[in-house]
Amino acid sequence: MYRSSEFDGSAAAFMGGGFMPSQTTQLPDSSSSLLSSRNREARCLLALTVKQICELPSNDESNFVIDGVEVTNVTIVGRVCQKEDKASEYTFLVDDGTGQIECTRWVQERIDTDEAEGILVGKYVRVHGHLRGLQGRRFINVFSISLLLIRLRWIEQCWSDDIEFFAAAHIPCVSCGVYF
Amino acid sequence: MDTSKPAIFVNGGLLPMHVQKRVRIVIQVLGSDRGAVIGKSTDDHQLTVKGTPPSVPLTNFVEVIGIADSEKSIQAEIWTNFGDTFDTYSYNQLCQLANGEYQLLFL
Repeated sequence: MYRSSEFDGSAAAFMGGGFMPSQTTQLPDSSSSLLSSRNREARCLLALTVKQICELPSNDESNFVIDGVEVTNVTIVGRVCQKEDKASEYTFLVDDGTGQIECTRWVQERIDTDEAEGILVGKYVRVHGHLRGLQGRRFINVFSISLLLIRLRWIEQCWSDDIEFFAAAHIPCVSCGVYF
Repeated sequence: MDTSKPAIFVNGGLLPMHVQKRVRIVIQVLGSDRGAVIGKSTDDHQLTVKGTPPSVPLTNFVEVIGIADSEKSIQAEIWTNFGDTFDTYSYNQLCQLANGEYQLLFL
């Protein structure tokens, strides 16, 4: 279960499994307080499919809710279909098999640019970001976008762009589905 | 944002359920025959993948996204090398979940 009182911008904040909402969100009278609350203690990171994101109910395009839990930060896994490079931002169209969603990475420092430059069309990536809505569309403001590289523990193998434990990357979505 | 063209997670046993639909499948490459790639699905079904593979050599495991044109063949649109080893058990579990009780998360 991942909880953070304050996001520090570090990719390490998203490491590890168990992207499950905090149990504090399960209070009997939590729904209205959660919808209006901006308490950072209640925020969590949810692994969702693009289909789930598109179907999230929202009243004002800034508050998304899934079964009474506020959805702010999300993580998705998918294939980069398009990449657009502008002066201070990169926009990736990521397809996870259930749909496609725009993911925008704003860059200010060299390290941000290097990260975005390394993401190529056709590669599988994991995206962490803040879910946004505008005029009926949903998109993600990206905190972190990285190539999907997972070491297979039970064999002697080095990191490689071509080794991807794709199935495991989608299991957290199912875990969230079980929870809700 | 577009959910109009999903690619359904399938293995060999689930492919017949999605003929004429867009699917994604991981196969182990066995060889080629008359311009098509012959592969084995993660649940040990032999399948035929038609279309033009990428210019780079295929690895042992490949993900194919395309249209299922029969119960045992796919017309491929996208090929992605997945390396020489792959966790077929987990992938099969994902396919079962994505086509079963958690189908609403994917389709």
